[in-house]
Amino acid sequence: MADAVTARRPSRRRRGAGITPWLFISPWILGFVCFTLGPLIFSLTMSFYDWPVVGERTFVGADNYRTMLTEDPQFWHSLGVTVKFAAIFVPLNIAVSFLLAVLLNTKVRGTAFFRTAFYLPSVISGVALVTIWSWIYSQRYGLLNYLLGQSGTEGVNWLGDPGWAVVAIVVASLWGLGGTMLILLAGLQSIPKELYEAARMSGVPPWAQAIHITLPMLSPMLLFTFITSIISAFQQLTIALLLTEGGPLGSTYFFAMYIYETAFRFHDMGYAAAMSWVMFVIILALSLLVMRSSSAWVHYEGEMKGKGGTDG
Amino acid sequence: MKRRTVIIAPAILAATFWGGMTFAQDKVLRFATWNTSPESIAINQAIVTKFEEANPGVKVQVELYGDGFDDKLTAAMGAGNPPDLMYMWNYPAYYQSLMPLDDMIARDAAELNLADIPSGLMNGGLIDGKTYGMPVGFTTHVIFYNKDLLAAAGVAEPQAGWTWADLRAAAATLSKPDEQIFGFAVDAKPDPFDFEEFFWSNGAQYISDDGKVLDGVMNSPEAAEVLDMFGDMIKTGEAVALNIGDQTSGSDLFKAGKLAMMEGAMWNKGGIDESGVNYGVAVLPAFGDKPVKSTINASGISIAKDTADPDLAWAFVKFFSTPEAVALRTNDLPIRTSVAESSGMMADPKLAPFFAMLAVADGTVPSFLKNPEWGRIQENLSLAIEATMIDQGNAKAHLDEAVSASARFLK
Repeated sequence: MADAVTARRPSRRRRGAGITPWLFISPWILGFVCFTLGPLIFSLTMSFYDWPVVGERTFVGADNYRTMLTEDPQFWHSLGVTVKFAAIFVPLNIAVSFLLAVLLNTKVRGTAFFRTAFYLPSVISGVALVTIWSWIYSQRYGLLNYLLGQSGTEGVNWLGDPGWAVVAIVVASLWGLGGTMLILLAGLQSIPKELYEAARMSGVPPWAQAIHITLPMLSPMLLFTFITSIISAFQQLTIALLLTEGGPLGSTYFFAMYIYETAFRFHDMGYAAAMSWVMFVIILALSLLVMRSSSAWVHYEGEMKGKGGTDG
Repeated sequence: MKRRTVIIAPAILAATFWGGMTFAQDKVLRFATWNTSPESIAINQAIVTKFEEANPGVKVQVELYGDGFDDKLTAAMGAGNPPDLMYMWNYPAYYQSLMPLDDMIARDAAELNLADIPSGLMNGGLIDGKTYGMPVGFTTHVIFYNKDLLAAAGVAEPQAGWTWADLRAAAATLSKPDEQIFGFAVDAKPDPFDFEEFFWSNGAQYISDDGKVLDGVMNSPEAAEVLDMFGDMIKTGEAVALNIGDQTSGSDLFKAGKLAMMEGAMWNKGGIDESGVNYGVAVLPAFGDKPVKSTINASGISIAKDTADPDLAWAFVKFFSTPEAVALRTNDLPIRTSVAESSGMMADPKLAPFFAMLAVADGTVPSFLKNPEWGRIQENLSLAIEATMIDQGNAKAHLDEAVSASARFLK
């Protein structure tokens, strides 16, 4: 009898940490739910309504999606412009970042200065960037046409010619490659030097070293920058909105800009929400595609392909 | 020491609380404006200050929405937190969130002296038979011309009743491309609201009166004629094309003395005055012998539907419409005929053409009032105008494209 009364309960401390871990992560969870998850679900709900900013909100089911895919030529046009931009921008972004990273990786004096110089444009605010580029691109008074004129060729109307406006925006967007460049530079610097030494001693020429050592060792970083470039290309808005305002003749009317104008010019929130979700699905599909293909070309350090390791 | 703290601290707290409560006794009216230039902001503030002096205990909080006016107002209304008072011109977009003013206008009709306000201006705020805003200012469109450039080229100054043929002939003489001086400027991306005046002057319009028909209206021969004329002016070099890849505005060129003639409104006048250019003002030219029409850009002041204190907000609106307040607004034209006459504006050669254009501007209804989907249709029209200016012609084809692309909004 006495034993039953005096039996001790196990100490709290031994049972587990209790509520403390939840308290620690609650600020982040609260922020996530209130500012990310909540609005996400709200916009999904909005996309099934006819939701003008001012006035009655009526449930329309999948009508927004149907209209977008079957009745709205502007949707396909904007999507086409965005895909065209992404097709030019993403390879250029990765290639130029890689080139600059390789250059910065050389043992020359002043790489620290150039690293800063190349990174600086990517931290400039979009509006300042657009102002600078609109001066450079001006047909009559711009720096670019002036320099082209000095070298003998006639400059085009960069922002006023429907054919050249997308190219102008691609080049202006490339100024934001600072972050990508730094990631690739870090990747380059983490490649073990022994690999290059071994290759040099075996008489492998530099170009083969690049293809068989640098690129495979860099491939995880390249995968990351590939996906993030695709995402940011599809979400391109600031530069188009401010530099060309979607013109001339809608040749730079990006998808994100169409969503923005539908929401804030035409006050059609439901339709804009539906388009945003379609954009999300498209970007998700592309990212998954890239991830799927990555097993073919991405080489993670420590991974053995095929037979190897402890097997005979 | 501790005892003193115990007495002083609550005393300070009580004092700040009391003081805070006194400030909180002030009634606050939020007033959203779209002014961006320092002079118009100052004028607005002067009127607000006068109102506060006449009404102690009331504070009017001016919210400068500036260029982002529509975005910020939309966001505020969407969040259910609109300002009590706001400038307004786009009644179709916002009227559902605004308070109809008819009862209050009828009640205070004598005080307002409505006979002193041209009916065209009062009608600007009419949607479905209800008035949603009191007019506060307006402008019409005119041609600004550089007297020195005209004199140097030996071109006579424009007279009332002149035609586009006259303007084109003058522009041809005035244009000196090697000196970067141009006779006229054609905007490839004009505000379609303002641009419709050229359609009206040639007997065309954007959309039928019932807002249901575009084909044969927007792409009528008269409409194509207007666009082709502007495109041709660019081609022959009589005019410089604006907004094709360049963000230099016509008024920048005019103020720099590089543009001989420019279509503009009251919002250009202040800057041109400051630039010191020796300029004159003429009415818009006519298409042959057809009556010339100008757009009226009327701005109004509206009250939010669910404002906390409707009577106080209405008192402010009434104050804004008194002759004293109207006279203070020198950045656009007075809504009261009495103020226009007494201030000598109608005799001023630089202002008389504006009033002349107001006198002939009736019988025209802006397109955005005719169809709720006009915003989307207007996008296609803007593309057609831009395409014609880039193409320097071929208006009918571009207008046909605009009509067919807009067909789905007419359903």
